[in-house]
Order: sequence, then structure tokens, then C-alpha cells
Amino acid sequence: MIDSKQAAEALADIDDMVHRVRQSRVYDLASQMMILWGGLVFAANFATWLWPHQGYYFWIAVYILGIAGSFAISGSNRSSSGVRSFDARMLIAFLMFIAFGFFCSLVLGHFTPRQQGAFWTIYFMLFYALAGLWFGRAFIVIAAAITVLTLVGYFFVTGDTFLPWMAVVNGGGLIVGGLWMRRS
Amino acid sequence: MAELDDIIHQPLRLKIMAALNSLPGAAGLEFSRLKKLTGATDGNLGAHIETLAKAGYVSVDKAFVGKKPQTTVTATAAGRGAFARHVATLQEIIAGRQV
Repeated sequence: MIDSKQAAEALADIDDMVHRVRQSRVYDLASQMMILWGGLVFAANFATWLWPHQGYYFWIAVYILGIAGSFAISGSNRSSSGVRSFDARMLIAFLMFIAFGFFCSLVLGHFTPRQQGAFWTIYFMLFYALAGLWFGRAFIVIAAAITVLTLVGYFFVTGDTFLPWMAVVNGGGLIVGGLWMRRS
Repeated sequence: MAELDDIIHQPLRLKIMAALNSLPGAAGLEFSRLKKLTGATDGNLGAHIETLAKAGYVSVDKAFVGKKPQTTVTATAAGRGAFARHVATLQEIIAGRQV
């Protein structure tokens, strides 16, 4: 038989393992979503750079495909784990988040395309950083890195090259971050 | 008086059962994921999974995903029950009801 100290240590080991599994599942799901959104953002930034007048259409397509893809990933995850992660409530939260972004950037702020590019990226990264407070520091590291590189681009990358910069930093950053998170 | 389950009580097997028991329903974990979570070596992890499987506490499914073999370990109903009893016993020991 063991004493109470050893029993407490065993329970602490169990709690630690439950926490690790939970974080691992969150990272696994988040990594798939990040890679999806990273690919879309990468493509949309390059497309906007090549065909600037169709920019809004590309970004509307990004949101539609991103939301549909998030539902598909969530559904696939549900079939293997029994847990639905991207549900109607998450969709409403996401739409409110986007609506507030549009309100700030178009109604209150009248941002230029360059300011829009920086704003939306930093705005989304704020969401990632907040998620990191609950779900693990990898979110915070990825958000901080992409935010810093976005600000570097905003202040120091001049002219049209800002969009390819954002394709690499935002789209590429999410893809690399997602792959890193998968290995964490 | 409840007793600790000797099969589950071994530290690595306790971690394996804790990880599998935290999953919902019939969900399992891939061997590689379990290895990362527990920090065990391939051989050590494999041996302890075999012990748990012989006791009927886990089931092991081997399949091919594409060309890569994939081993998934899942806690059985008996395993979940044994784990719950083991945790209850640990809590009783802490509460001083067992010495």
C-alpha cells in the first residue's frame, strides 16, 4: 500500500496527463485550421497584388472558403474524437468578430488598403493571443511573431511589395505556425 | 476496502490510462501521439501497452493509413472502470480512509 503523499503524486500525474492530452487535441485541431487559413490568406494576398481591383472578391472568397473549411475540419475531427469544435455558436462569434473589424476599418476608420492589410492581420493575431491564454503558449508565440513582422512590413516595406510581404508573413506564418504546433 | 490496481499503478501505465481515459467515447490515441505525451521509448511503451491489453484494459488496432502503418490504442469499458476505481482508491488514501 502507498501513503497519502504517493497517492497525491499519482493523482497529480493523472491531472498533468489529462492537461497534456487536452492541449495536444487543441493544438492538433488548431494546426489544421491554421494551415487552411494560412493557405487561403497566402493566395488572397498574392491575388490582390496581381489583380488589385478584384481584391474584395478574393477576400470574400477567403472568408467563405475558410468558414466552410473550418466546418469540414471540425466535422472530420468530430468523427474521430466525438467532439465538435466549430459549431453554430463559434460561427456567430466569428461573424461578430469580422463585423466589428469591418466597423472599425471602414466606418470609423476609413483605412487605406495598406492599413487594412496590417489591421486585419493584427486583429486576428489578437484573437490568437487571447486564445493562447487558455489553450497554450504556442498561440501567443505565433501571434507575437506574425504581429511583429506585420508591423515591420507596414513601416519599412514600401509600395506594392507590401502585399507579397503579407502573403509570406501572414499566410506563410500561419502555415509554418500550424506545422510547428502540430509537432509541439 | 478498495485496493489499488497493480496493473494500472505502474507509473507509465498510469499515464497511458490517464491519457486514454480523458478521451470521449470510443476515441483512441495513435502510438506516436501516446509516445510524445508520455515521453516513453518505443519499446517501453509497447511493452506496457501489451500488459494493459492482456488485462483487457485497452484495445490495440493496427491499420494502414496510405502506406504508413498506424497503431491506435483505446481504453476499453473494463479499463475505464478499473481506472475510475483506481482513482477513487487514491482519493480515499489521501482522505485518510486507508493506510
